Amino acid sequence: MFNRSILCFLGLLCLAPLCAQTPLRVAAAADLEPVLPPLLEQFRQATGIRAEATFSASAVLAAQIQNGAPFDLFLSADLGYPKRLIDAGLADAAGTADSSTPIVYAKGTLVLWARKDSSLPPPSLDLLRNAGLKRLAVANPERAPYGRAAVAALTRLKLYDALKPRLVTAENISQAAQFVDSGNADAGLISLTSALTPRLAANGAYFVIPRDLYPPIEQGAVIVSKTTQRAAVHKLLDFLLSANVQAQLAKSGLTPVH
Amino acid sequence: MDWQAFALTLKLATVTTAILLAMAVPLAALLVLGRSRWLAALEALAALPLVLPPTVLGFFLLVLLGPRTAIGRGITSLLGHPLAFSFVGLVVGSVIYSLPFALQPLVAGFAAIDSALVDAARLLGAGPARLVFSLLVPLARRSLVAAAVLSFLHTVGEFGVVLMLGGDIPGATRTLSIVLYNQVENFDYAAANRTAAILLALSVVALAAIYAGGRRSGGRYA
Repeated sequence: MFNRSILCFLGLLCLAPLCAQTPLRVAAAADLEPVLPPLLEQFRQATGIRAEATFSASAVLAAQIQNGAPFDLFLSADLGYPKRLIDAGLADAAGTADSSTPIVYAKGTLVLWARKDSSLPPPSLDLLRNAGLKRLAVANPERAPYGRAAVAALTRLKLYDALKPRLVTAENISQAAQFVDSGNADAGLISLTSALTPRLAANGAYFVIPRDLYPPIEQGAVIVSKTTQRAAVHKLLDFLLSANVQAQLAKSGLTPVH
Repeated sequence: MDWQAFALTLKLATVTTAILLAMAVPLAALLVLGRSRWLAALEALAALPLVLPPTVLGFFLLVLLGPRTAIGRGITSLLGHPLAFSFVGLVVGSVIYSLPFALQPLVAGFAAIDSALVDAARLLGAGPARLVFSLLVPLARRSLVAAAVLSFLHTVGEFGVVLMLGGDIPGATRTLSIVLYNQVENFDYAAANRTAAILLALSVVALAAIYAGGRRSGGRYA
């Protein structure tokens, strides 16, 4: 009797996903936080499929997926973490030309941002050489793709050794922006997506770091292999890569892939 | 193992504990012996760091101590640099963050002392300082040890405030909990396990030493 009720319960649990559509769970890199929510709302209106995003540093999300987090799609800020999940057999890019390579959905842009009320000159490469620059905020170069790009650019400019003692390392790109916006750091190397948010746009000014100074910040997507909603995930990926959405990405500080 | 971070963590916890005890003993005595009705508000205020998530507390401190507030500007002109991203900044953050852990055991300990003893001491002419240091503190020695141990350990394990306020600068603000977090985030689980094991082992040794000292000098402890 008891066994039968357990079986019934388990049977119902299996049926539950068929009755009500569970929302797609999207693990998204922190630089997408200002960008993704309106896009997901458009996606819901166009397809009727609900999708919810969780934002964190790409490395954190990758570790969570590695340990069984119930995500369907992973939008990283780089290609390394998605590739690592593919190699571990936990994610794939099935349905695309090469199922073992993450799908590039956008490219990131690195900017130097400072508050307008700063006593230093407005952001430019010269600001990085200014002796008055006491604290420069960067995201952690060991795991944040924008942090890696920042260190690459400083190294390329031959400024890294001189600036190293003045760097303050933030957990992710949003925190790097916070360090500067709160006035504790004089300037920061952050994402253009952050610099274009209403708050930062009102409080400060940015300078786009020339693209030849750092390797491209290619942002890769992978499907978490154990998803039960593969068809819906593909719809969302197609949506993100559509011309219309890619044009919107450009307005929010990401470079379209085509 | 990052010994620089280890030494920094011990230094931070020691300095924080010393400051906290110096602050919490008079504050706890005031709360227990005082008569003003404002003391309830003061006690509530002192317990507030328990409510806020550490990263949120760290964020508020970052803003409050930053050059965009009058307090922050005052401190900056005094020290010559902003408090954030410096060891002193971490000390300030840790003292606020761990204050309830120093204060609560002391308040409980002082309150448990027979009020007849306090009244007798007062009748015999003991001033407030004498009352605290010759009566309350010796009688509540166990609470003092508990306050010190809790403050120390809470600071060693502190993470959110340091993450927000520190800026991960080796030798200045990179504590063991940050190193451990970095190792986990970088998928270096073997190193993270080593760091965690050493941290736990040393904490057990330090705690055992403190408790053993408490037993010896007290004759009867706990």
